[in-house]
Amino acid sequence: MNSANSTSQDQFSSDSLTDVSKNELPPKVAALSPTEWLKANLFSNTFNSILTVISTAAILLIIRGLLSFIFNPLRQWSATATNMRLLMTQAYPEHQYARIWVSLGFLLFLTGISLAFWRAGRSVQLSQVGKRLLALGAFILLATLLAPFSNKATIIWLIIGIFIVGIGFLLKPSHEDKTVSSLTLLSGAFLLAILSLWVIPYGHHSYLSTRTPKILAEPGTVAMTTKLPWTIMFVVAMCSYFLGSFIREKIDETRSKAVLSATWLISPLFLLFLVLRDPDFDTGHLLSTDIPIFLFFSIVGSVLLLWLTRPDIGEKGRVISAAILFVGFATFLFQMLMIVRILTLVLAFFALAAPTFSGQKPARIRYTKVWIASMVILCWLITAINTPSTAKVPGDFFIGGFAITLMIFFFTMVLAFPLGVLLALARTSKFPIFRIISTTFIEFIRGVPLITILIFFSVMVPLFLPDGMDLTEIAAVTIAFIIFEAAYLAENVRGGLQSVTRGQHEAAEAVGMTNAQKTFFIVLPQALRVAIPPMVGQIIATFKETGLLAIIGIFDFLYIARSVIPGQTQYMGSTRENLLFVSLVYLVICFAMSKASQRVEKRVGLGER
Amino acid sequence: MTDNETKSSVRGDRDLANAQDIIVCEGVSKWFGDFQALNNVSATIKEQEVVVVLGPSGSGKSTWIRCINRLEQHQEGRIMVDGVELSNDLRNIEKVRSEVGMVFQMFNLFPHLTVRDNISLAPIWVRKKPRAEAEEQASSLLERVGIPEQADKFPGQLSGGQQQRVAIARALAMEPKIMLFDEPTSALDPEMIKEVLDVMKELALSGMTMMVVTHEMGFAKEVADKIMFMEGGQIVETGTPEHFFTNPTEERTKLFLSQIL
Repeated sequence: MNSANSTSQDQFSSDSLTDVSKNELPPKVAALSPTEWLKANLFSNTFNSILTVISTAAILLIIRGLLSFIFNPLRQWSATATNMRLLMTQAYPEHQYARIWVSLGFLLFLTGISLAFWRAGRSVQLSQVGKRLLALGAFILLATLLAPFSNKATIIWLIIGIFIVGIGFLLKPSHEDKTVSSLTLLSGAFLLAILSLWVIPYGHHSYLSTRTPKILAEPGTVAMTTKLPWTIMFVVAMCSYFLGSFIREKIDETRSKAVLSATWLISPLFLLFLVLRDPDFDTGHLLSTDIPIFLFFSIVGSVLLLWLTRPDIGEKGRVISAAILFVGFATFLFQMLMIVRILTLVLAFFALAAPTFSGQKPARIRYTKVWIASMVILCWLITAINTPSTAKVPGDFFIGGFAITLMIFFFTMVLAFPLGVLLALARTSKFPIFRIISTTFIEFIRGVPLITILIFFSVMVPLFLPDGMDLTEIAAVTIAFIIFEAAYLAENVRGGLQSVTRGQHEAAEAVGMTNAQKTFFIVLPQALRVAIPPMVGQIIATFKETGLLAIIGIFDFLYIARSVIPGQTQYMGSTRENLLFVSLVYLVICFAMSKASQRVEKRVGLGER
Repeated sequence: MTDNETKSSVRGDRDLANAQDIIVCEGVSKWFGDFQALNNVSATIKEQEVVVVLGPSGSGKSTWIRCINRLEQHQEGRIMVDGVELSNDLRNIEKVRSEVGMVFQMFNLFPHLTVRDNISLAPIWVRKKPRAEAEEQASSLLERVGIPEQADKFPGQLSGGQQQRVAIARALAMEPKIMLFDEPTSALDPEMIKEVLDVMKELALSGMTMMVVTHEMGFAKEVADKIMFMEGGQIVETGTPEHFFTNPTEERTKLFLSQIL
């Protein structure tokens, strides 16, 4: 009995084994037919059926409402179209507009190369694309039938819808296994959009800001000053992508990725303050002041740092660094150029960090190179900012509209991130003084509404500044954004810091690392990895919060849409159209950021396991 | 005496009798809140000696070994490591830590770095070695612990035994004079314990001063020069493995041995 039982069991197990070896893949679930799918997902019981009917009706009504709003003949969409440049760059001078295109072209060039180097884009199955197109076409057909179009428009939209559905049908069943890169799809879409500029009669709109402003609205395709640059932009992006994929095999990839990341951080500064602002350099001042200061700091600093990074420097180094820091703060008591104060403070921080990065000759030379590079960038930027601009724009800033939104967002992110990390480290520090300062700061900032801080900085802070110190409103508001976001980012980073286990700290301590080395090499890399998802959420929130600039009267994207365009006599009452456009732009960018962040999370997670 | 001679023949020329003291603890006490974890612990460990610390859990073995590189701070008594007294002076602590390697129960490898970087990070930034030299050293250490082919993997991709061997290599990369092992095999699956113990044996044979907290009696019998038995935060009995396993004097030691053997 017993033995029989065991043999049958053996047989059973061997059977199941052969079964497993036969079916290496899990069995395919038979696809549901459309009616079955409907029944299973939408009409599984009475209650669900009622819900399905009600929500379908609601959705259809909303779509219909939205469409009849958008396509109502009373809508002044020409207000948005005519003022596109105003929305994007405020009244940037017409004859200097090439500067905008150069900046955009450079950014697209960087994007193309980066996409190639990071091998962005995943492969998408053609059948999936077909499904999407089917859905899109069906939606267009449905929307056309719902919308109160004229007969002619209805026919055009129906043809477009049927065309898309047709392509979807072609792609869907036959090419089951064929894939295509998502980048190809994206560039295809852009190509279509740009071709449409040349073919489809969107109309030629522009706002001529001569002495008596004149609005131009002619039939035909868009102006040559729009379609030609965009076509060039597209070509630049494509070429740089192919260039990137061509050279990435030939050069050291890690190093070039580092260079690319640094370029992403630094180039916006140069585009803004050199290309867009077009400073009018004064050669005499350059030769007598700016260049000597730069040379002095880079030479003296290099010698000092080469000496301070010697492994055997010991206590002497710390004393000297502290002395430089003291001198740096003391410079604020005396009348002198701001650039000298800033550079002295930066030198002090480099000196303080020197023991952490000290080592043999190559390490010391590398550290000194970083110092010289930061000197070049800092001196350059400060000089450029201090030189008057040749781009004459109404208001006290050289650019506005969407460009200023992007600019403030960029500065906020680049500066709030390190500040937030510092605040988080201070808050988890062993030293009570750091902890108290940081905690007070964070809790205070988090307890005050952002708009209050913004108003405070734009109105009050310029009044509090000492004599001789000057802060433009834009700079003040950017600082407000930075400290606000830094406080929130600090909390995200703190969460990450707490997730690093005690064992990691002990392991780093046990191999003799100093506190700074432990933090920099062990704790922060792990903490930031954990903090990525909440930080991306915060970054997206920051981007949306730039809309508050409109309330304090800065000529940003939203302000132009809400106040400037409706103020034009021809377009009174066009606020809703403009706001809808602004929302769409914000929506597209935030959606893209959140999609990108999901991919970053996945990538970062890979290294960990 | 004869036994000592056979051991020294196995382990090369070591003259423990004339060796210098490298770790000296005098009356070390430590409290966690009201709980006294260490009670007046005094012991001396000589250069090239292999000391195994045994005892039931909660007896203070781990606390003691962690006090020796100041991952825990003792509150009374003195600890001298290689002539440097452990105090609140940060420079002394960093100096001692770079001379004392430590291997943890939970490995504590750095998960965001490859195996090679795990090993070469501290030599580069603490010992200030050139990167190329440090990486070469990492490769030869991985060879020594038997996993040269894993250098470019991340710790999460290795088995527990391999991770612990990387941890040993990481500690050795600092060229320490002393190695501390805090229950190095307790978190391992049984089939992986041997590979780690083999590395430790090889290390002991090469003349490293080692202090090992473990429950591996076989290792203690075979490799230890001295066994210390702790209970209740005190060192109850100290002796050679022969003395300890065959002829213990203290009642508590006998009880402990009867429970585990």
